[in-house]
Amino acid sequence: MSELLVVENLQKYFPVTRGAIFQREVGQVKAVDGVSFTLEQGETLGVVGESGCGKSTMARCVARLLEPTGGRIIFEGNDITHLNRSGMRPVRRDMMMVFQDPYASLNARKRVGAIVGEPLEVHGLGTTAERKRRVQELLEIVGLNPEHYNRFPHEFSGGQRQRIGIARALVINPKLVICDEPVSALDVSVQAQILNLLKDLQEQFDLTYIFIAHDLNVVRHVSDRVMVMYLGQPVETGGKQDLYTEPKHPYTGALLSAVPIADPALGRAREQIVLQGDVPSPLNPPAACHFHPRCPRFVDGKCNVDTPELTPAAESPDHRYACHFPLERWPMDESEMRRTPAFAGTAD
Amino acid sequence: MAILEVTDLQTRFRTDDGIVKAVSGVSFSLERGQTLGVVGESGSGKSVTFLTVMGLVDPRHSEVSGSVRFDGDEILGSGNARLQKIRGKRIGMIFQDPMTSLNPVKKIGWQLEEAVLLHNDVTRAEARRRAIEVLVEVEIPHADSRVDDYPHQFSGGMRQRVMIAMALINKPEVLIADEPTTALDVTTQAQILRLMKKLQDEHEMAIVMITHDLGVVAEVAHECLVMYGGRIVEQAKVDDLFAKPEMPYTWGLLGSLPRINLTSDRLEQIPGQPPSLLHPPRGCSFHPRCAYVFDRCRQELPELTPGAIGDDHLFRCHLADEDRARIWDAKKAALEASEGRAA
Repeated sequence: MSELLVVENLQKYFPVTRGAIFQREVGQVKAVDGVSFTLEQGETLGVVGESGCGKSTMARCVARLLEPTGGRIIFEGNDITHLNRSGMRPVRRDMMMVFQDPYASLNARKRVGAIVGEPLEVHGLGTTAERKRRVQELLEIVGLNPEHYNRFPHEFSGGQRQRIGIARALVINPKLVICDEPVSALDVSVQAQILNLLKDLQEQFDLTYIFIAHDLNVVRHVSDRVMVMYLGQPVETGGKQDLYTEPKHPYTGALLSAVPIADPALGRAREQIVLQGDVPSPLNPPAACHFHPRCPRFVDGKCNVDTPELTPAAESPDHRYACHFPLERWPMDESEMRRTPAFAGTAD
Repeated sequence: MAILEVTDLQTRFRTDDGIVKAVSGVSFSLERGQTLGVVGESGSGKSVTFLTVMGLVDPRHSEVSGSVRFDGDEILGSGNARLQKIRGKRIGMIFQDPMTSLNPVKKIGWQLEEAVLLHNDVTRAEARRRAIEVLVEVEIPHADSRVDDYPHQFSGGMRQRVMIAMALINKPEVLIADEPTTALDVTTQAQILRLMKKLQDEHEMAIVMITHDLGVVAEVAHECLVMYGGRIVEQAKVDDLFAKPEMPYTWGLLGSLPRINLTSDRLEQIPGQPPSLLHPPRGCSFHPRCAYVFDRCRQELPELTPGAIGDDHLFRCHLADEDRARIWDAKKAALEASEGRAA
């Protein structure tokens, strides 16, 4: 198994300017602020987090739809961080994206055949007849009728449109597929179809996925490894088993606790951890640990002063978390979470 | 007596392509202080049912029949004058997307005061006091200054709280919440659901929670309706629904959920899509997607009947009781086996 993708300390800052004639930079939105991970071929990395955590921005940086402000992206051993358009062109054959909104991500004025065939055309692959055959092949693979080649997107349902988007992503045989919330806009029963399809395709074509979602149930189902993001930074990464059964970071614990359980008895039995407040603005993130204002384990003088680094867990070095007071066990309820172990630095 | 009693509600829309049968015979009752979960996917008729109950469907393009009794009085077909006394005062409604439901050019204080002044003979100063009071109740910090902010100055979760405040400001007896947390992050959703439960306890308010999320229903509902193709296909107390669902669509819905506590390689998928309400299938509206379909299903619409369990668990399915029990036991065993693997 080889490393397909290595991301080192990725940063993406958006400048905030003021002034009509002379634009001064008055601040920065640190949308992605130090993300690092490696992805092996055939793996699925699930990226989970709430609005504003930077997961979509991170994905777009990896796909080079945005230019990173800092850090490095190494794809198949090549540094692609600042490649120009022609430099990226061969890379784009191996890296494709599936988007969230099945209504907005397909050109409403093009027929399905043209939409799915566009990557072939852009890369100059095949004759017209070969391209048509390949598109029809993909339509069938994703569970659509090849005869729908000449239809427009509006003639399809949300789930079918998402299949069209997937067909388009696969038509040139990429290695890496970045899925940005591919099932969030779909009904539950259709979601299951698409998740099963993505898994089948991964096996069939040896695909590697970055799977971004806010639904923890979905992420658990599809991922091998998971990265939890909060306000531009990864707070915990690891194998899915580790993360879901023994989360170390309080935010991961709160996320897991907040997911409604489709089992009334289980739901009633557990005590949910409900965070206070909302996610702060990335324009003015809290000092040191960005999560500290909402954290049940916050220790004044430590969490708002020292930025925690991603540290490997003792039991499993691949499981890393960025917290000064990681959870000792799981499950925990809110009152247990608040009992932060004594810290030598605080004045008692 | 139930606070809301709906009998055989039918809503049809007249469109250029024909008649869309959005709601075809829905009956249920809502008790005070209880939460009714209404589950269904796109096109199931769940939203239109409650828009009809509130008299919010345009009579120029629709035909409505049946009975809606609110606190004993028939309100279906009432004129606007009568309904406006009930809507916003005795029945509050929260819509799905808080950004499009709030007026972007008016301060939220103004919008809240409007809700008070429409239904109560008080001064604007008193209305403002009430507005701040309800903002505090929905846990908006610094309510006395935030009351003068515009919707865009609030985050998504905050805006939804403002919507809830607006729905609650006149202390309604019923709150109809149409997908109130779908657009929100999961931690914000947890906050909002907890808030709604607290308010229900404090005000003895009945809540209708319309959602496609079975997890939310399991968390908040006492009683549950599953809707499909404009009809109720299963109806039960929430524990019964999850413990022993009686209808293939419900099995499919529960089976297609990726679950945090289970590992399985494949999710159960329901093939196909929800039915057209313009040309609904003959017989049982679920039959084209049902794995257990037989001839009778294609010809005859099943009645909503109770099964072996009892009178308060109703469902629509032609399968014999023994067959249904056998199929569910097999599914349950498979689920438990995969749960064992995950542990």
